[in-house]
Amino acid sequence: MDVDTRNMTPTNLIDKIVVPGDVVLDLTKMENQTIKLGSGLRQDCDCISVLQAGKLRLSKPNKYWVESSQKRYVPSLEDTVLGIVVEHRSDNFLVDIKAPNLAFLPVLAFEGGTRRNIPKFETGTLIYARVVKANGIMNPELSCTDASGKAAEFGQLKNGYMFETSTGLARMLLSSPTCPVLEALGKKISFETAVGFNGRVWVNASSPDDVILVSNAIMRSEFLSGTQQRIMAEKLLQRLEKV
Amino acid sequence: MVGMVIERDSVGEEGDDVVTPGEFLGEATEFIAGKGAYVSPNGRSVRACLTGRRKVTAAPPGSHDNRSTIEIVGHKAHGAVPQPGSIVIARVTKVMARNASADIMCVDSKAVKEKFSGIIRQQDVRATEIDKVDMYQSFRPGDIVRALVLSLGDARAYYLSTAKNELGVVSAQSISGGTMVPISWTEMQCPLTGQIEQRKVAKVD
Repeated sequence: MDVDTRNMTPTNLIDKIVVPGDVVLDLTKMENQTIKLGSGLRQDCDCISVLQAGKLRLSKPNKYWVESSQKRYVPSLEDTVLGIVVEHRSDNFLVDIKAPNLAFLPVLAFEGGTRRNIPKFETGTLIYARVVKANGIMNPELSCTDASGKAAEFGQLKNGYMFETSTGLARMLLSSPTCPVLEALGKKISFETAVGFNGRVWVNASSPDDVILVSNAIMRSEFLSGTQQRIMAEKLLQRLEKV
Repeated sequence: MVGMVIERDSVGEEGDDVVTPGEFLGEATEFIAGKGAYVSPNGRSVRACLTGRRKVTAAPPGSHDNRSTIEIVGHKAHGAVPQPGSIVIARVTKVMARNASADIMCVDSKAVKEKFSGIIRQQDVRATEIDKVDMYQSFRPGDIVRALVLSLGDARAYYLSTAKNELGVVSAQSISGGTMVPISWTEMQCPLTGQIEQRKVAKVD
């Protein structure tokens, strides 16, 4: 009786919490396969071990990675982040994105940006930008255009309220299909949000009450399941109608 | 009264005694002042201006002057100093968008006594396509590179260049910690994991 080993996952730790030092895969038992390792995993000769505590994920057929949630952000390519301008140098803005280094945002990295129309961002301006260069050694580089050069919602975020969250909650808010808490809130309140992979969320609505309600609902939804998020959102919305 | 006569060995070899700045070495009529010595203001005696040992070299035959040259050797300032045109071995400390800084450790195969700073600019990394150079794919912090000193540079650092086949990264460690093996002039491979990393590799014979 031949067991079809091609479809058996070689580890039983998928979607379980792993801690640094756990050996996740033994390469001697898997032959002729290409495995792609994402963040949080490391190859030590013949075994794959965990570097960061978190949940082990697998994307069929062969991508493995560890999903973890921290307060600090490690810049990675093509992430959309919310940054705060710290300084204005001659050829780029220095932007804080909760990373180990300050990020550079070139003054020309805007749609239709030339030396004559450099935007005037003061210290403290909130910017929605995209990471275009991120290696562990140099300062990361941002851009306020998408890959084709269009503005596409990047740039300064005016009004509204910004708060900080963990990177795990930011990823949950950005997941598709739409996160349950945002969907439940969106049925009754009209608001707009910008979520950065670096753990910053910006909320804007027509009245301050709505802004506070949406922000609190988001902050509370980190460890709730989908149904719990919907129930929590509905309770908050009922309170709004009673007053 | 006890007098002491110290006989000075004045021809042909290095003395064992240490001389200090200002000390009388010989008459200007008998000696020419070499490196580390000078003729005193009254023009009559040759004195030392460095701390070290005396060395006397006889005059070359056939020169007009048959005075010997006296010079001071063995002093500390003889540590290697990078000069424009010398090949240095340096360790990369910081990699930035348009240049990389390095600490110079050896000059022309002689170790330095104090650290010198060098900078490798983007246009000096290689000889071809110098505006498309990606510093991150040429060097990483911790790499050992062989470079050529271009000039004394500015107050902070010497300007170095790796724009030749035999210049560039000589030894580097991979992310996993193994010492990498060069496989081409742009790539090195880690023996532990097989991962290939990009560097500007020196062609070592």
